[in-house]
Amino acid sequence: MSPSFNQLSEEERNWLDDYLGGTISVSDFDALQDRLLESPELRCVMRRYLSLDTTLQSECNESGFASEMAASPWLRVVKPAASFSKPARFPGMIRLATAAVVAFFLGTAAMHLNGLKKSASDDRVELEEPSAQGFAVIGRLFDVDWKDGGATHREGDMLGAEVFRIAAGVAEIQFFSGAKMVVEGPAEISLKSAWEALCNEGSVRMKVPPAARGFKLQAPSTEIIDLGTEFGLVVKDGEGHVEVIDGEIEVRHRREGEKRLLKNDALSLGANAAAVETAGGQVVFPDLTRYGERSENRDRLDFQRWRNHRDSLAADERLIAYYTFDEDASTPLVPNLTIPRNTELDGAAILAEPVAGRWPALKSALEFRRPGARVRVNIPGEFSAFTFTAWVRIDSLDRWYNALFMGDGYETGEPHWQIRDDGKMMLSIMVDDSRPNPGRANDAGFHRVYFSPPMWDLSMSGEWMHLASVYDPAMRMVSHFVNGAQISGQEIEDDFFIDTLRIGNAEVGNWGQPFREDSTFAIRNLNGRMDEMAIFKEALSAAEIARLFEASRSDRR
Amino acid sequence: MPLVFFSNGSDRMKRMKPEATLSNSEDDRYETFVSCFAHHEPDLRRFIRSLLPTWTDTDEVLQQTAIVIWRKFDQYDPATNFMKWACVIARFESLAYRRKMARDRLVFREDVLELMADEGIEEIDSRRTEHEALEACLLAMPEKQRQFLTLAYTPGVKVKEMAEEAGSSAASFYMRLKRLRRQLMECMESKTNTAGAMP
Repeated sequence: MSPSFNQLSEEERNWLDDYLGGTISVSDFDALQDRLLESPELRCVMRRYLSLDTTLQSECNESGFASEMAASPWLRVVKPAASFSKPARFPGMIRLATAAVVAFFLGTAAMHLNGLKKSASDDRVELEEPSAQGFAVIGRLFDVDWKDGGATHREGDMLGAEVFRIAAGVAEIQFFSGAKMVVEGPAEISLKSAWEALCNEGSVRMKVPPAARGFKLQAPSTEIIDLGTEFGLVVKDGEGHVEVIDGEIEVRHRREGEKRLLKNDALSLGANAAAVETAGGQVVFPDLTRYGERSENRDRLDFQRWRNHRDSLAADERLIAYYTFDEDASTPLVPNLTIPRNTELDGAAILAEPVAGRWPALKSALEFRRPGARVRVNIPGEFSAFTFTAWVRIDSLDRWYNALFMGDGYETGEPHWQIRDDGKMMLSIMVDDSRPNPGRANDAGFHRVYFSPPMWDLSMSGEWMHLASVYDPAMRMVSHFVNGAQISGQEIEDDFFIDTLRIGNAEVGNWGQPFREDSTFAIRNLNGRMDEMAIFKEALSAAEIARLFEASRSDRR
Repeated sequence: MPLVFFSNGSDRMKRMKPEATLSNSEDDRYETFVSCFAHHEPDLRRFIRSLLPTWTDTDEVLQQTAIVIWRKFDQYDPATNFMKWACVIARFESLAYRRKMARDRLVFREDVLELMADEGIEEIDSRRTEHEALEACLLAMPEKQRQFLTLAYTPGVKVKEMAEEAGSSAASFYMRLKRLRRQLMECMESKTNTAGAMP
């Protein structure tokens, strides 16, 4: 029996993949050859892997033997796609490739049919259905001290099969089965699935609704199955104490038979001894209500700190406009807070709904979830640079382009600040709306989009983040920032240079009135919320953006 | 002698026959060569690929091997295994090619190449079995994954450019390719009863 691929080490398997892809480094290739000389297993598997690669390659290669092609059931299955007409944008590819490309794009192309101004580079391969890893999510956290060297988490973080460790404080873990765990540190919980966890250490309170009945919590030598409602477990040095707060549980300790416990029943679980019935009510299990009040006070202080920051920022002379979307949730008015106050720059919210902001009980934000949602503004004047900053919580990037701040007509000098559905931030300024964009006959005019690398994916859904983009003609640079850190910088080339900038009519969170001669309705609303946006007429430095992020963040983020 | 071999099936290959100059027995010999070679070409190609870093290298050596096989075909004893005989020639041609190309960083060292070739010759039959298993695995694969593979393996497709143009990173494209290839490897191995496979 010959060795299999999975018997190789991960290092060896990666060498093989890198060798196939031609991306193996010189030192790895040397190491691979050394290993080949000494390992008959590696040689054998490598030959098999290369042979597999050859088969795949020759099946896709039209210049292979016609007879073999016809004989290949694989190609027969794929071939009908060849009847689709060939778009001209993939020159030089052979027919079969084109067929595959067309077949591949078909699904996604249809999704974009309602989109506006489709161009070649805006098509994308849908590589796979987005998926998120994990089966539990962190609810609230109170004074949590993460164990040194362990993973640190924030509220809303997804948890998968992993060991959750805290040195102190209280954390709430919501399992997707519906079970809720409140755990007080020091604790070590090994998360197994939405239905199972192991408590190695710590004090835990489990609340199990009917839908999650059967949730299994293990202690080192005990298995506890919840048959409904609420119980507590403390584990320290291998010894446990379990107690039913309400409802019923089933306990299997070591090799003993199962025991049923009802409300107020308690068992002491010796590491090397039998389970002993004991009096309930003597152990205090973690309780979120105790922490709630403390946390509110902390939030209030933190929010006050932000308000002080807001008041000093409002006086910054470089500001064009400053919105915090929270003054009075009952009117559609979105005041511009710059000092001296200029009510001409106030915005109007349309269909955007007031929702909880970064300090949920204290500050509201605006949500642009509905396709028509937007804040309209009119900002006259000419500028020589732009810095856009905003606190944004993206729920998902549903649209092809997801608007942050968009000049209405995208006319010469006007900005578009948005996020593409692959998570890349985009900033562009129309350079000349009367001149066609090279190679893009349908585009609005001569301009260039400056992309950041992808900075968002679905795992970050619901997370507040600080976004900033700078258009700096003097330094000929466009930069993007996430949470105070620069993620990209791209030169403005001569052809695309423009330093007479305007805004005029514009929108926050959507793009409603694209072109003068075109009434097509582009849907670019941001599926998410925004609770602060500042636009500057100067290019802020990286250090200033980092400071702005620090000063305006909440301590929850 | 025209040297455009097997670029489009055996019809094209027949063109290498020098016209109207062969005797009847030579004609027969030629027919035997064509049928032997056509039958074993995919195996030979897999064998050479296991020794050389790229398709271009593989095709070049395969072509050279075909020429040598044709030249030496009268030395071939039909009672013996054609494939093994061809592999020995391919091994020699690969080594010669390696010496020419040794500057290329991905070319195996001579000792490694020899070892891979010698053991590879003994595995020709398992390669055939695996090939059949792989076809079955490909058939059982979801359509979308198969299309992705077709795309990724089609010559002339520049994965990097295409992935970038499509707004996805080349890295995620390669990651997916790697995962699918490994998945196929597992499937193929399980069908051919390789160690560690599921029963």
